[in-house]
Amino acid sequence: MKNFRNLAMAGLMASIAGTATYAQSALPDLPRGFGNRPLTMIVPYGAGGGSDQLSRAMAKAIEEETGLSFQVVNKPGGGGTAAIPDFMISPPDGFTVMEHIDTAVAAYAKGDIRENPAEDWIPICIAQITFSQIYIRPDETRYTDWESLVAYIDAHPDELSIGILGKVGSMELVTMQQISDALGLKVRQVNYDKPAETYGSLIGGHVDILFEQPGDVRSFLDGGQMKPILTFLNERPSVFADVPTHREVGADFEALTRFRGFFVKKGVAPDRVEYLEAACKAGFGNPGFTEFNEAKYMNLVQSYRDREGSVQLISETVDVYRDVYEQLGIGQ
Amino acid sequence: MDLFIQGTLSLFGDPTSIMIFFLGLFGGMLFGAIPGVNMLTLGAVLLPFTITMDPQNAVMLFSVIYCAGVFGGAITAILFNIPGAPENAPTCLDGYPMTLKGEAGKAIGAAVSCSALGGTVSAVIMMTATGIVASFAVRAFGPPEIFALILFGLAVSASIGASTLWKGWLSVLAGLMIATIGSDPVGGVPRFSEGAILGLDYQSYYLSAGIHFIPMILGFFAVSEVLAQAINIAKGTRSRPQASIEFPTIAEFVAVRWTIVRSVFVGFFAGILPGIGATLAAFLGYSQAERWSKNRDNFGKGELEGVVACETANNAATGAAMIPLLALGLPGGALTAMIMGIFQIHGMEPGPLIFVNSGDLVWITFAAMFWANLMIIFLGWVQTKTVVHILRVPFRWLAPGILILAIVGAFALRNLFIDVWIMFLAGVAGYMLRRTGYSAAGVVLGLILGKLGESAFAKSMQLMDYNMLGFMQRPISAVLIIVAAVIITSSIVSELRGKKLQKALID
Repeated sequence: MKNFRNLAMAGLMASIAGTATYAQSALPDLPRGFGNRPLTMIVPYGAGGGSDQLSRAMAKAIEEETGLSFQVVNKPGGGGTAAIPDFMISPPDGFTVMEHIDTAVAAYAKGDIRENPAEDWIPICIAQITFSQIYIRPDETRYTDWESLVAYIDAHPDELSIGILGKVGSMELVTMQQISDALGLKVRQVNYDKPAETYGSLIGGHVDILFEQPGDVRSFLDGGQMKPILTFLNERPSVFADVPTHREVGADFEALTRFRGFFVKKGVAPDRVEYLEAACKAGFGNPGFTEFNEAKYMNLVQSYRDREGSVQLISETVDVYRDVYEQLGIGQ
Repeated sequence: MDLFIQGTLSLFGDPTSIMIFFLGLFGGMLFGAIPGVNMLTLGAVLLPFTITMDPQNAVMLFSVIYCAGVFGGAITAILFNIPGAPENAPTCLDGYPMTLKGEAGKAIGAAVSCSALGGTVSAVIMMTATGIVASFAVRAFGPPEIFALILFGLAVSASIGASTLWKGWLSVLAGLMIATIGSDPVGGVPRFSEGAILGLDYQSYYLSAGIHFIPMILGFFAVSEVLAQAINIAKGTRSRPQASIEFPTIAEFVAVRWTIVRSVFVGFFAGILPGIGATLAAFLGYSQAERWSKNRDNFGKGELEGVVACETANNAATGAAMIPLLALGLPGGALTAMIMGIFQIHGMEPGPLIFVNSGDLVWITFAAMFWANLMIIFLGWVQTKTVVHILRVPFRWLAPGILILAIVGAFALRNLFIDVWIMFLAGVAGYMLRRTGYSAAGVVLGLILGKLGESAFAKSMQLMDYNMLGFMQRPISAVLIIVAAVIITSSIVSELRGKKLQKALID
């Protein structure tokens, strides 16, 4: 009954709006035998983190849009790898959905995991895509923007340190390596493993620079505790209109992005995959979800990819990582 | 003071707030007491409802749950050797032996009073000094200082629960080695999660997550205790513990006053540092107490001072953990992260400006934590008189319940079944360790400190350009390392002297 009402509602909205772009498109019929019990959504990271928040927001949005219900289960550990076996032994019936991020793609390219997220899993959508930035303390006197920072680093090589939340081979470290190589920067990298500690290390003065995505440090940006000085994106997003991009400062590479999406196992019946793909699309268009993504600065670049788009993004990213790893001599 | 009174008045000014206050108090205590579900579970369930609540009620509710939850786990630790939450693990070391001696009431009484005391004192410090303390802590304690602090913790941990110093050190070293399983904190290099056993290649994604200390604690304490008691029953040597409801006397508290002061101090400092938290606070409080106590030999055999030390320290950490959250927007743990979420849901950002923008709310938080800690005394007094009677249930009925709680607790941690197997393995290993005079607590402490310590060490090395002398060039880390070295040396010397003395006496 709830399904029917939502469907009818969606149809009504679409006809009123006239221009139903991607959000309120009609859902296909619910495949027989599907959705009669709650689906499990595996989150490979801990409660309260970025992946957890996204999964819960998406689960709620899909519930509102389609009537499917979800049970969100966190299986953290091993940088997102510990959850994979449980996902792989679940029956391929579409009742188990896993959230995962670009880290899984990097892990596959590096040889840490065997599963190719674009081939061994079926992406039903990508719902968040964001870029990275470099931050400094606003009261920093040695340098105040990217230009003066580079001048300072050139005059004092290996004196400054940058805090990065990530391990060797991660999107974060690869991007820093790319910019350092492109501009000949000499800074010391410090790898952190807990967000609060990382941010505290910039605020407390233990590191001089921070590498992060804007959505994760939004509260510090709004509170005036951090200041962005470089954006890793081809064009300046409107919110950060006065911050230069890496292209503008002379680094010529396609910057890797952070993305988060949802997967089912290979072997799930095509009608179920199609339904889930449509459900995810509808969830992305849900007003509550849109608001959530805006609060996380996930509206600055087009953050949605359908199944085909996701496969393409993942495959391209695998190639980029393989190239970079080869250059850096990381992985197998 | 005016601000505090104002906060208190708006807290108890309307019936809804009063109701929510007591709901949080009972809820936190109940969820804290059951392993598997804890105050985080309660917090996660309640979080969506806070959107429609008044911001002051929402923040107050979570502050109260936090205080009550940290205390709640002490009860099961004392009665059944199952720590309700990791920060209550060291409470088992002396709390449970007290139960076996028929002093359960006394142990719970001490836990109640000291939780309340530690929490209240730290709430008072929090009220008076949040701004200053927060910026000091975050500036003064970088990775090298945290590493030195952990080294200091290791130096005192060898004395916990082992029959000789050497066995204590071996236990701690075993814990440190278990901590290396998984992937390394900087390079992500797999360690023991792939390779070859007997010529067979294996790769385990599960093991890449490492061994978590919670299933180890549940195995070492709860499962191995069930084994030990079952063996005693089979041999016919088990005597049922008496269910006493006797409260500790004032004189007993006065006798341990310095332990209380030390634990407040230790707990408060561990609480302020992001990522250290209440669990380490409790362990450090306990090992400090053992180190300086006159009744050192009684530790681990049911010494009141042991219960006092860890319960004071873990609750002292609660108030302290709010300091970096409120003043800098840095949550130290999952529950404080939820509190931060509540502020954000209602359009406020914890950080330097929060005292200016939402000062009234901050003071409601302070007042709520203060009163919640005071209330723990009264509730705890009632609990002492009631829950102790569970001990009258025959053990053969109690044991399956204990095991079920332990299994749920191990699985609920990460929803990974490997944790349940680890718990059972640890249960058997824990039984052997106890029989042979090694220390289960030492292994757990080695595991916790090993993970934190390696990560801090790796970061320090990167920060200081791989110059080890850097540790001695920073005053705080230098002092901590020197004190640690002195403690290690003096304990070795006194162990050797003791041997000589014994030998002389025998001769």
